[in-house]
Amino acid sequence: MEAADLSHHTSRRFNEDLERVRTKVLAMGGFVEQQLSHALTALVEGDSALGKSVASQDYKVNGMEVSIDEECSRILATRAPAAGDLRMVVATIKTITDLERIGDECERIGNIASRLANTERPEDHYREVKHLGRTVQLMVHNTLDACARLDSTLALKTARNDRIVDEEYESIQRQCITFMMEDPRAIRRALEVMWVVRSLERIGDHAKNICEYIIYMVHGKDIRHTSLESVEQEINSRAARE
Amino acid sequence: MTASVWWSPLLSTLAAVAVAVLIGLLTGHLAVTVSLVLAGLLMRQLYLLQRVLLWLRSDRADRMPDAGGAWGDVIGLIARLFRRKQYHKRRMRQLVRELRHSTAAIPDGVVMLNPAAEILWFNRSAAELLNLRSPGDVGLRIDNLVRRPEFVNYLRDGDYRSPVVVQGAGIPEQHLHFQVVPYGAGQLLLMVRDVTRQVRLEAMRKDFVANASHELRSPLTVISGYLETLSQEETLEPVLHDQLLEMRRQALRMTAIVQDLLELSRLEAEGGSPNEEPVDVGALLARLRSDLLAREVPQWQVQMQVDTADRLRGEPAQLHSAFANLLDNAAKYTPSGGTIKMRWWRDAQGGYLSVSDTGIGVAAEQIPRLTERFYRVDPGRSRASGGSGLGLAIVKHVLQRHEGTLQIVSEEGRGSTFTCRFPLARLLPPA
Repeated sequence: MEAADLSHHTSRRFNEDLERVRTKVLAMGGFVEQQLSHALTALVEGDSALGKSVASQDYKVNGMEVSIDEECSRILATRAPAAGDLRMVVATIKTITDLERIGDECERIGNIASRLANTERPEDHYREVKHLGRTVQLMVHNTLDACARLDSTLALKTARNDRIVDEEYESIQRQCITFMMEDPRAIRRALEVMWVVRSLERIGDHAKNICEYIIYMVHGKDIRHTSLESVEQEINSRAARE
Repeated sequence: MTASVWWSPLLSTLAAVAVAVLIGLLTGHLAVTVSLVLAGLLMRQLYLLQRVLLWLRSDRADRMPDAGGAWGDVIGLIARLFRRKQYHKRRMRQLVRELRHSTAAIPDGVVMLNPAAEILWFNRSAAELLNLRSPGDVGLRIDNLVRRPEFVNYLRDGDYRSPVVVQGAGIPEQHLHFQVVPYGAGQLLLMVRDVTRQVRLEAMRKDFVANASHELRSPLTVISGYLETLSQEETLEPVLHDQLLEMRRQALRMTAIVQDLLELSRLEAEGGSPNEEPVDVGALLARLRSDLLAREVPQWQVQMQVDTADRLRGEPAQLHSAFANLLDNAAKYTPSGGTIKMRWWRDAQGGYLSVSDTGIGVAAEQIPRLTERFYRVDPGRSRASGGSGLGLAIVKHVLQRHEGTLQIVSEEGRGSTFTCRFPLARLLPPA
């Protein structure tokens, strides 16, 4: 689909530049995805070494962000893209910022995981956190899929999942408060777990942001700070017209 | 040939003109009749040409116009060409369809990629394993959709000799086995297989061996302890005493097996690079030699030759255990009066450590199996000598850890040489 979109450029080099940036963004996304999954595994299985390795790998994400950012600036300066290409470059610059933040949250989870690995694990083995983690992981995965396929429908669907993440976050928060009231010895761990779920909730927000950039990139419409329902109507009516 | 082509049209035209001249002479309008007949002939040719044209444009091979003479032959020949083309086309289409059906039915996922790693085609299993969508994903880069860093690096590095196993490329818990096969002009065939079950089984096996050996160790320690005290009891009957001694020997053997098993499973479990530091091989060999001589009554000579002072980068404990195993083997299988020789040297390719003996040797066909666990050349004899059957498996594992290889040269009755080869990158100048 986008092969056709991009092939109208007379300069083949320009196409290659744009494609390369996109591939780099998705490679960065893939790495962040792996960081997230390792961080969660480290937490749930009490693997201190894995948690530490996640935390120490975050510099790679930062490096990728810088390199993609430079490439985007170079494209803006030398090619002066317009319309869809410009939107793509702008959306890319924003996307990598959010991906980098997701990386930071993974680093935080990794650190907490390596700290918690030395304490006793709770009886439920972080069942709720695990579930929330799965939801967030899937959200990040779908976001990147939508970015690879320029699929605004999937992006919209994924953005809507953020609400589920928020609800689960609230419920785990309440649960943690109950734990702390029941047993003051659990306060330390509960506080750490709170940080983890807070990070996961933030990752959900960042994924949602990226979804919004994808919709902006595909439809040229900025949907930040508008309700998702109205966006959906808009996109559907546009699809009907086309 | 060219002349004969002219004969038939010439004759028929001449005949028509002759008839026209005859009628013209009879009626008295010679010029008019001849022109009319010639015009008629021309009209007929043009008409037939027009019909053939219309027929060819209609794309209906079966409704061919009927015409006699040369035009009939032309039409017939064209129709035949057409039918033959249709037949080949149908066969090709059938062949392609069958090929597609068969590749779609392959249980492994298959993805065809162009040199830029863009998807050309994939089968149903690949779509399921990698969450690909047909036909939307055709033309997209595969590493945009399968984004795990291990896979992306594998694809980018272009070294497709060995496959790669990646967790969570599709479904999070799944382990997928990727193998790229280059074909044609830079095109790539990507094969995907779900190996989750195998990976889990392998993990279970490792866990089991580690846990079982660990659990066996404590009771064994207790048993050996009591056996030791009992065998030192002096009031016992001699028969009982001998039995106790044998029991103690067997208990010690079992302890050795359990220890080797634990060592092996630790080697397998330790991921990533071991704690490496420069190891002084000469000093290590000297220590091993004095250990050996202190432990057993020496019936053989132990020679040592250190040609280089280069140190080896590696995990000291693992290297110690590997070399000790090689030396123990040599001691075990060398009859009294023999010679054991240890040598450490280097050349332009790397560093070498060899242990040779003048022992009983191994038959050539058994050499490849020597490093298998519990493989025994002669079951009766090696059990009596108290080996665990795991020594060379440990050596192999340690060498794999250190990017080394084990070379075994042996001649039955004359002795064996075990050579560990280490890459040049692992050698460090002397301290």
